[in-house]
Amino acid sequence: MGIDTATLPERPDVAGELLAIPAGWDVREVEQFLYKEARLADENDYDGWEALWTDDALYWVPVDGEGDHPLATVSVIYDNRNRISTRLKQVRTGKRYAQAPPSNLRRIIGNVELLGGRGNRDGGVDLELGANFVAIESRPRGNELWGGRTTYRLRKFGDEIRLVYKKVVLVDNERALPTLGFLI
Amino acid sequence: MTDPVVESEFASVSVRLDTDGNSVRLRLEDLRTGRVRHLDALELETIIWLDDGRLTQLLDPSHERWRG
Amino acid sequence: MTAVVQPAPVATGQSRYSQLIRPDQVHGSLYTDPTIFAEELQKIWHKTWVFVGHESEVPQPNDYVRKQLATQDVIMTRDRDGEVHLLINRCAHRGLQVCDDASGNSSSFRCPYHGWTYRNTGELLGYPYNKGYGGKNKLELGMGKVPRVASYQGFVFGSLAADGPSLEEHLGAAAGEIDRLVGLSPEGEVSLDAGWLRHRTRSNWKFLAENETDGYHPQFVHGSIFGVTGSPIGALYSDSSTAVTRNLGNGHSENDLRPEFRNFAEPLRWFGTTPDRVPQYVAAMQESYGDDAERRLIEGAPHVMIFPNLFIAEIQVFNIQPVAVGECVQYATAVQLAGAPEMNKRMVSQSIGSVGPAGMLLADDTEMYERNQRGVQMLDPEWLDVRRGLQRESIDENGFTIGAATDETGMRGFWQHYRTLMEAED
Ligand code: FES
Ligand SMILES: [Fe+2]
Repeated sequence: MGIDTATLPERPDVAGELLAIPAGWDVREVEQFLYKEARLADENDYDGWEALWTDDALYWVPVDGEGDHPLATVSVIYDNRNRISTRLKQVRTGKRYAQAPPSNLRRIIGNVELLGGRGNRDGGVDLELGANFVAIESRPRGNELWGGRTTYRLRKFGDEIRLVYKKVVLVDNERALPTLGFLI
Repeated sequence: MTDPVVESEFASVSVRLDTDGNSVRLRLEDLRTGRVRHLDALELETIIWLDDGRLTQLLDPSHERWRG
Repeated sequence: MTAVVQPAPVATGQSRYSQLIRPDQVHGSLYTDPTIFAEELQKIWHKTWVFVGHESEVPQPNDYVRKQLATQDVIMTRDRDGEVHLLINRCAHRGLQVCDDASGNSSSFRCPYHGWTYRNTGELLGYPYNKGYGGKNKLELGMGKVPRVASYQGFVFGSLAADGPSLEEHLGAAAGEIDRLVGLSPEGEVSLDAGWLRHRTRSNWKFLAENETDGYHPQFVHGSIFGVTGSPIGALYSDSSTAVTRNLGNGHSENDLRPEFRNFAEPLRWFGTTPDRVPQYVAAMQESYGDDAERRLIEGAPHVMIFPNLFIAEIQVFNIQPVAVGECVQYATAVQLAGAPEMNKRMVSQSIGSVGPAGMLLADDTEMYERNQRGVQMLDPEWLDVRRGLQRESIDENGFTIGAATDETGMRGFWQHYRTLMEAED
């Protein structure tokens, strides 16, 4: 019963095929972008963070490892551009209690690896890369250690890099997770 | 091409149709030990007709493998 | 860490719980005292019917899934004849955990420590090197079993007590709310097979049970998301709402929103959509239920808390399980209606947005539970107030106590039943 996945589009993490790394990407430049994205999230700079995303954004935090088909089963987060905007509007009210007051956060990103290219809806090829992260979150309920692997897809608009896709696979996503109120 | 594997947390067995003989057979390999068994059509049919209770008896670990 | 304030010594002839639970107030130690939690395990969680899972999680013969029943790790299995069992995940030899995977399909389970092998009904079918036990079949041992397992509309409940009221007796009027949910499927069937979000909550389980039908909090706790999305849900829980809070007996309660939806008389308003967006679903409902389809689609899904741990929040199902006096886990999933693919996709998507660790509704409820747990560790005032609406309660045509949409009628029903169970002699 439930949803017949045969009726759904391919799951977005494996849709199409992984192509060669597209030309014109420099790993240092990519890292700088990831660090910036991490800093904006750590510092709860919602406007700055939101501005990184493209219109066809996808922000996904699955459960149970890599997760099942996100249109057929539940995920911790599965936000398109519209829902990212709703999520941020909610937190900007200052009454999103799970994030009011905001978490104190710092994360480290490492093991950055360019993985390949992924065809996009505009007929272009986005850069796909992976990185590990560890984040320390401090809230009144205590400190929380978060860790996992993130797969990103990036696209260039002139000189500007934008975020197309972010899938965060938490190492402990097979177990009960505490409230995840911040931008992971 | 790797063979399909039938597995659970309790056992892993790879499955292949073996056409080396004069009739096709099923080749099964216990991936945890490497032990291989071939089952021909008549043997497979027999398993299908095996009474559930008999099959359960065969699952007793001291029935064959860890006897004594 | 846990501060426990004890009220004045129990007056002679009064039980501990009648001291702690008053018609209009409950004592803070009920949420913080580890000895009370230990007693709750015995008298509630190891005795009454506890929601564990759904038959659709083990659709095929020999399927199994690991589930939580209070502090117990249980395996829900379907045997080859189709019957559902709840086994305790512990080997009869030296107590190892037998199953390690979260789910699988196997007619029998082999313990990795010394190879003892069990049927998926829990019975021991053999052990290696049987001479050490004087031969085969010499041991009258098996995996622990939850002695009573019963389902209602596929919802599987277990009771660790060999005797007691039947599941139907326990559910009482709440069964009708499950029927309402199932009646939204054109095939009269729901499944809970869209996976579970697991939300670790540093709070006593009772804060959750009480909050689920608390119609007083949504405008405050969820104002941030209602405002941003223009959701009409807030108005259902306002002072002018015609919705009622109903004590369904046996600790069950509901926010009955039907009076509001009947006023609007708009099919699918409860789901935030309109018939033209889900035409196949509406047609299938009409096909199955004829003229009654319209009523079903107007009135919508239930919002019911079934004691002690099953919360049906319209299109989501929550399974609440305690871990310790100050910790529990909320398992949440999207309801899936048989024969309604258009709805099922939407229900998955809406549920992801609303519930779980990052849910735009439930993360805020959970923040409240956790702050509540910290709050009740403060010394003064010792009591929590549950009197809201006590003076304006009435009895409905079926004999149930009802209050206004924002009244604490559900909580009082919860405490009444809680006290009965906690005072019961073994
Ligand atoms: S503990 Fe399970 S076989 Fe020994
Ligand atoms: Fe709430």
